[in-house]
Amino acid sequence: MKRMLVAGSVVVALCIASSAYAHHSAANVDTTKSITVEGIVKQFKWANPHSWLQIEVVNSKGVAELWDFEMTSPALLVPSGWKATSVKAGEKVKVVGRPLKSGEPGGLFVSVTLPSGQVLSQGGPGPGYAAPTAPATPATPR
Amino acid sequence: MLGKSQIVRSVTVSLIALTFAVAAPNLSAQFQPPGSLGALAPANIAKPRPAAPFNLTGTWLHGGGTNNGFRFSPPAGFKLTPEAQVHYNAAQKAQAEGKVYRDDIGQCWPAGLPVIMTRVWPIAMVQMPTVIYMISEFMNSLRIIYMDGRPHTDPDIAVRSFNGESIGRWEKDTLVIDTTNFVPDHHWIDSGIPGSDALHIVERVQMIDNGNTLSIEYALTDPKSWEGEWKMTKRWRRVDERDIAEVSCLPDLNEHMPTTQSKNNVR
Repeated sequence: MKRMLVAGSVVVALCIASSAYAHHSAANVDTTKSITVEGIVKQFKWANPHSWLQIEVVNSKGVAELWDFEMTSPALLVPSGWKATSVKAGEKVKVVGRPLKSGEPGGLFVSVTLPSGQVLSQGGPGPGYAAPTAPATPATPR
Repeated sequence: MLGKSQIVRSVTVSLIALTFAVAAPNLSAQFQPPGSLGALAPANIAKPRPAAPFNLTGTWLHGGGTNNGFRFSPPAGFKLTPEAQVHYNAAQKAQAEGKVYRDDIGQCWPAGLPVIMTRVWPIAMVQMPTVIYMISEFMNSLRIIYMDGRPHTDPDIAVRSFNGESIGRWEKDTLVIDTTNFVPDHHWIDSGIPGSDALHIVERVQMIDNGNTLSIEYALTDPKSWEGEWKMTKRWRRVDERDIAEVSCLPDLNEHMPTTQSKNNVR
């Protein structure tokens, strides 16, 4: 699988980031950067308070790595078109996320491109979820 | 035939057992004085009381509008105790290094009051004459606010908690909630600012905007962590189209959260 790192600041319309991750700190994530990886889905968990997507990515050295992407809750995913069955183990997908500052594999989820070409993102404000007046980037433990 | 000493011993043991059997229900019920009624006892609910100025039963979500941030940040010029200052300095250092300092919520510890009130999750509130229940969807954290006139539990026997023990009363059009008996650790007011077992929170709750907004003024004191009283006001809006669901922080879920598992977490 091909792994692509997109360096620099890529502004993605992710205004829901603060609401999606505000329950614990994401100060160790570089929210100014975007990362794109391709791999095979190992697990997709549909759960509260967070869903998550794990894919196996072969890095530039040919070594397989497991990447976890932290997602928001199903209550926010459903209005964006998600179902518990949207992503299936074994599928080849492309995931865009926000990387960890440490460089460890994984990050905050932004979007996934499915084998069909369909792109699913997250966090369209659902009922009762208008964006709060929180700082755009949660910067501290809470 | 039993001897006299055997009979005395048998009766004594029986009395002790009976005492525990009778006392057990009270021991499990917030250490209420013997004979007092629970908050949901029909006889307690039926007692005559002035009508409540408002009923906050409903689902509420913090956020919206200006000057309504979710953090309980200290006011300008705040002064911490030496013990708390150590944490604050460490948190500042961690943040400068792109790290997270003791994010206990991310490790499944309860958020605790006041932070639990401003998670980006709805809070279901149920108001009775004798008690108000607040259940945050986030970890289904429960607050119980006793409105039946009982005092705070003696700190020497209270079982301390993250949301503390809340006693409420009505003052004209305001619900005043006094909360004490907090846990001494793993409880943070803001980044690097610990809440101690001396934390005392007074909330003054008002319903405004034709019943669609809750305004809560917070007064926070904690002589073990900071000097003086910190005040701030937050607002919640009614979200009638929302219910809350079961939400738990589970180990096998948390291990897939990069933010909580990264080495850039200062424990």
